[in-house]
Amino acid sequence: MTSEEPFIRWDWIVANLDDIGERTWEHIVMTVIAVAVGFLLSFTLSLLIVRWRRLYAPVIGASGLLYSIPSLGLFALLIPLTGVTLLTAEIALVSYTLLILVRNIVAGFDGVPREVLEAARGMGYGPWQLLWRVQLPLALPTIVAGLRIATVTTVGLVAVTALIGQSNLGSLIIQRGIRASFPTAILVGAFGSVLLGVVADLGFLGLQRLLTPWARARSG
Amino acid sequence: MDFPGEVVSWFAAPEQWSGGNSIPVHLLGHLALSGFALLGGLLIALPIGIAIGHTGRGAFLAIAMANVGRAIPSIAILGIVFPISLRLHLGFGFVPTLIALIALAIPPIVTNTYAALREVDRDLVEAGRGMGMSEVQLLARVELPVGVGLLLAGIRTAAVQVVATASLGAVISADCLGYFVLKGIATQDRAQIFAGALMIAGLSLLTERLFGALQRRVVSPGLRVTRAAGPSDASA
Amino acid sequence: MRRYRTAVLGASMLALLISACSAGGSSTSPSASEAARPAVTVGSEGFDESQLLAEIYAQALEAHGYTVARQDFASRKLALPAFDNGDINLLPEYIGSLLRELGSMPGGNALGPATGDTDETMTNLAAALEPKDQSVLDAAPAQDGDGFVVRQETADQLSLVTMSDLAEVADQLTWGLPLECSDNPSCGPGLKEVYGIDIATLRVENLTACSGEMATALNEGDDQSGIGVAELCTTQADIERFNFVLLQDDKKLIPAQNVAPVVRNDLLDAAPDDFETILNGVSAKLTTDELTKLNVQVSVNQESIEDVAAQWLADQGLVT
Repeated sequence: MTSEEPFIRWDWIVANLDDIGERTWEHIVMTVIAVAVGFLLSFTLSLLIVRWRRLYAPVIGASGLLYSIPSLGLFALLIPLTGVTLLTAEIALVSYTLLILVRNIVAGFDGVPREVLEAARGMGYGPWQLLWRVQLPLALPTIVAGLRIATVTTVGLVAVTALIGQSNLGSLIIQRGIRASFPTAILVGAFGSVLLGVVADLGFLGLQRLLTPWARARSG
Repeated sequence: MDFPGEVVSWFAAPEQWSGGNSIPVHLLGHLALSGFALLGGLLIALPIGIAIGHTGRGAFLAIAMANVGRAIPSIAILGIVFPISLRLHLGFGFVPTLIALIALAIPPIVTNTYAALREVDRDLVEAGRGMGMSEVQLLARVELPVGVGLLLAGIRTAAVQVVATASLGAVISADCLGYFVLKGIATQDRAQIFAGALMIAGLSLLTERLFGALQRRVVSPGLRVTRAAGPSDASA
Repeated sequence: MRRYRTAVLGASMLALLISACSAGGSSTSPSASEAARPAVTVGSEGFDESQLLAEIYAQALEAHGYTVARQDFASRKLALPAFDNGDINLLPEYIGSLLRELGSMPGGNALGPATGDTDETMTNLAAALEPKDQSVLDAAPAQDGDGFVVRQETADQLSLVTMSDLAEVADQLTWGLPLECSDNPSCGPGLKEVYGIDIATLRVENLTACSGEMATALNEGDDQSGIGVAELCTTQADIERFNFVLLQDDKKLIPAQNVAPVVRNDLLDAAPDDFETILNGVSAKLTTDELTKLNVQVSVNQESIEDVAAQWLADQGLVT
């Protein structure tokens, strides 16, 4: 930008509200897919871990490894296999949620007091009833907390998939913004991402509050 | 040649070890970026986390802002700081990447420091006050030692995230291991892409292990009790 | 973009319906050329200029009664397969790099080279496309190839007008070069062979060629920071916007990069004669200066590609 050009072009924003809206929607969809699939996978893995504790270390290790592979590297390795597609982007996004979710879901289940489990078993609860009526409800606050962080983090990561041609707020940042030396688009994309993060965060916070009326009493 | 063989021979090639774009240069750059970013993150986030954890005030706002900070795409920070950094003669890829990484490190440190101090048994704190400890003494002698486990977990998370994301700097010509990934993509050299990703993942794992070992050494044995994890515990 | 496509799809369905209804029972029998306008799908390759060119050709055809759909791809690597299998049947391209791309594919070593001469490159390209049942229409005068660019001050200070001038002072400046430079004949190997510039001996910062970051790094740079030479594209808006100096390629390192539409032969055969005439007419008016001005309107003024294309076609008298 030259010194004569204004930093933020408000007229551009107004003129392109349609596009911005579409990019925002695409951003939301990509986030939801990633978190939903990630949650299903993590939940399954966590149940297995609760059953066979020995699995904890390898699963956390593998998720941690995936988490540490830079997104560009992960894309580059996946592209020959899955192409420059939404699938590639989602595989990467999902793998980044695993570490957070598995850690929190397992922590949630671990947090169920022993005595409660014993009592329930004593009352004749089978393994499924135990899960549904006792473990899940008590673990839910921690699980939701994990979902909250995973979702907000994913919102921040979706933008980078624009580097492999995905359409979302990241395309505003990268293609319309950085590549075109047009700061307004960068700021709009970043702001949109943060706004989505706020909405997601507050949404999950509300859910957390809703699910744990008893926890509110003991907040110190 | 089979793929693993290609990767091995890439590592073995002498040009990877000398010159301006060698492994040592980018490894050093990567470590510098990560180290300074973590330091910067600590300098900003620790005081905030301690302040809100100790007093319990302003927590909602601080935690909310920290959480929401996770939604800022690092690449956007890169894009915005890049021209500013150039104009201020602060050089090329290092400064914008550093700032983006510091922003990344802050949320987990703030959140976990706060949680660590909140988890400390209030009775202990009261007992300390009763013994005439000042607020600072309370922090240093009671709260921090008890909460250090969770605090270190936060730093560990931040460190791993920073090391992994530092590779983004390659997009604006910063010296970091991401160079090999991008170069491999540009020249369609899969062995190079893999080698780059491998180095970054390896460094990340090393960081995770290092901080894990630190955690084990620093946390007092009496504290290593598995307690019920609560919602405030959510570590990322 | 998606809504636009749906509208065009809907419009073309409607058009098809109407033409089907009127074909049998109208009193004035339509001439063979009016009734048989085949559907056109024009592709583009992800960046603004490509989309702009696609839009210009598309609107020119639409003004003459054609139904045109647009389809954008993230890159040439994705657009070409779609062109080969018929998903798109018209694609604005750059003759030099397209020929090089085709030459790098399996079986491509038999193809003629892309040289600095437009006619020669066009001949070789036509020969390359023939076995695939594709053709290249007339080349526009506009060329968009890689170019090396310096700041106005640098050009004044070091008296730089041509690449040969730059070669003499190459090591005094920091170069902005893409990571693929060492592999690209128009870059590393070419610079050495044609101008004697060895990039391995230069101070280099790796940035994406023809990008905003590259332009910014040059614009914000000076003797102590940023870069002194950037690899941009010759019609890039940033050259005008930041008042850069594009160094003349006096020894013809960069191949001819004229804009020219490539088209599938099945579309060419099915279409009436005005198809080629329309497109060639557009190409004839497209010069490098015109294209750069259009890029400035899109990239700097942030006007919509549709509007810029429509305005230009109207100004050139191509849509009457």
